[in-house]
Amino acid sequence: MIKAANISHFYGAEQVLFDLSFEIKSGEFLFLSGESGSGKSTLLSILSTLLKPSNGELLIDGESVEKIKNIDYFRQSKIGFVFQFHYLINYLNIYENIALAALEDKKQNIEKILEELGILELSSRYPNEISGGQRQRVALARALVNEPKIIFADEPTGSLDSKNSQIVYSLLAEAVKRGTTVVVASHDMQIENYATQIIRLKDGQIL
Amino acid sequence: MISLKALGKNPFKTLLIFSSITIAVMAIFLISSVSQGVIGMYSKMIKTDGDIIITQKGISDTFFSNVDIALMQKIDALQDVASSYAMIVGASPIGHIPIAGIYGTTQNHMSHYKLIKGKYPKEGEVILGANLAKQFATVSVNIGSKSFGISGVFSSEIGFEDGGAVMNIEDAGKLFNRSASFILVTSDSPNSTDDIVKKIALLDDEIEVKTTQNFVKEYNQFKIIENSSLVVSTLAFAMGLMGIASVMSMIVNSRKEEFGIMRALGKSRLFIIKNLFFETLIMSVSAYLFAFLLSLGILAMLPHIEMLHGYVNGTLSLSTALYVFASTLFMALFGSLIPAWIASKTDPILLINQGSA
Ligand SMILES: Nc1ncnc2c1ncn2[C@@H]1O[C@H](COP(=O)(O)OP(=O)(O)OP(=O)(O)O)[C@@H](O)[C@H]1O
Ligand SMILES: [Mg+2]
Repeated sequence: MIKAANISHFYGAEQVLFDLSFEIKSGEFLFLSGESGSGKSTLLSILSTLLKPSNGELLIDGESVEKIKNIDYFRQSKIGFVFQFHYLINYLNIYENIALAALEDKKQNIEKILEELGILELSSRYPNEISGGQRQRVALARALVNEPKIIFADEPTGSLDSKNSQIVYSLLAEAVKRGTTVVVASHDMQIENYATQIIRLKDGQIL
Repeated sequence: MISLKALGKNPFKTLLIFSSITIAVMAIFLISSVSQGVIGMYSKMIKTDGDIIITQKGISDTFFSNVDIALMQKIDALQDVASSYAMIVGASPIGHIPIAGIYGTTQNHMSHYKLIKGKYPKEGEVILGANLAKQFATVSVNIGSKSFGISGVFSSEIGFEDGGAVMNIEDAGKLFNRSASFILVTSDSPNSTDDIVKKIALLDDEIEVKTTQNFVKEYNQFKIIENSSLVVSTLAFAMGLMGIASVMSMIVNSRKEEFGIMRALGKSRLFIIKNLFFETLIMSVSAYLFAFLLSLGILAMLPHIEMLHGYVNGTLSLSTALYVFASTLFMALFGSLIPAWIASKTDPILLINQGSA
């Protein structure tokens, strides 16, 4: 489903990813592990079309990302993203934040998802009025709302305790069961219990 | 509407842009309308009472002009001349007022000043404009080094006159040491005006003869006021507009993170630009309207401010209002949409990082 071919990335003159090639099959739960600074976020951004790699090619469903005509619609309908920092829009309340991302015909899902994540009663609060862990769950709800084919999550449990982390992982695992492909970058080795594929990065290279 | 939410959630920023637009727009309105008002008032004063004006040759300012009043007799004898009168305009301290307009006029023009109290002045007397009269409860007043009896009060819709004093031209002549500042001539018919101008010019080579219309058009003082107000209002305008543009672009830059998130969620560049367009539109239109109303209010108050003695008047022309509106809008949009357009081209994740850094 996703094919990375000879991907390298530079920030200015500094190379942070070195000629990476691999494949992620549909329905996989991929765990991207590695130390801080090893390039996990960078690689995840490239795989999710949010960053153009300096070199190499990314193919999704056999099509080169460069050639996708309506990349905006593609992102909104096919990809869900949970950022390392939650990145909610501060002037929209929780419900509106999710509605902003939702496709028209997926808006009816919003309440159900908020319910599942235990944050329905926070709907009308603003991002600065809830806890870090709650924000993380809102970000996850936003990624799930369009029932995307692929979910990318960067350190989705970074600010959660181990119990809440378990909840998030099982939610992701459920999405995998429904046929979604999930790619998670994290330090947290707990994910190994859920992952079906593991890629270990060190200094921008696959171990 | 998402634009309204964005504006409402950042009240301080919103207020900042709102007030910078308001102040810029008001500065332009006030400067240009006050100068238009002053010019309009002065030209009305001259235009209404004659077709031809005679001043001293080579003197561009009526305050310094000196023409021989004896010329009037020769002019009255010319064909097609209906009437003529002479005036001295000067400025002098009156009582405790540091400066006010003094108008010396021939008897045949005295009725131009509508009495609301008392009698027209005899020798050694003055009548005061209604606005100036408020300042004096006395029966006499010092003008220059002389004391004049106050014989009455007149009213005039022209601010210069209403804040000034009128006396006989002979008295004014002694005060300002001249015969007459200018002579105004009325012709029997508009067709003969040009002809009379030529004939009068032949009477004396120390004089300059013009139709009042041309005079007003060419009067140096007006040009100076007009040009300097143009310079000042252009500068105020440019500064205001640059302020608007830079505040807008600062705001856009501080929102890079937000735009990056939206792009990552699959919102199109158009979506972002469109929302920003509406935000800017709402803000600049409402700030403009606010400034417009404030300016109208201030202009309406001007004639009633004691300190100004009714000298300053302002009129706001529709074309100025429209011009200012168009350029305000243009600069606000220019300032916000260009950086937004550039930002929206950046990879979403880099935009987010730039924004949160
Ligand atoms: N926008 C950027 N500009 C320049 N250098 C960057 C930028 N983002 C990341 N880097 C550098 O690239 C390297 C990889 O960063 P990246 O964020 O991908 O690591 P990571 O594995 O996600 O780390 P962490 O676990 O701490 O989140 C690091 O050396 C980092 O300093
Ligand atoms: Mg990272």
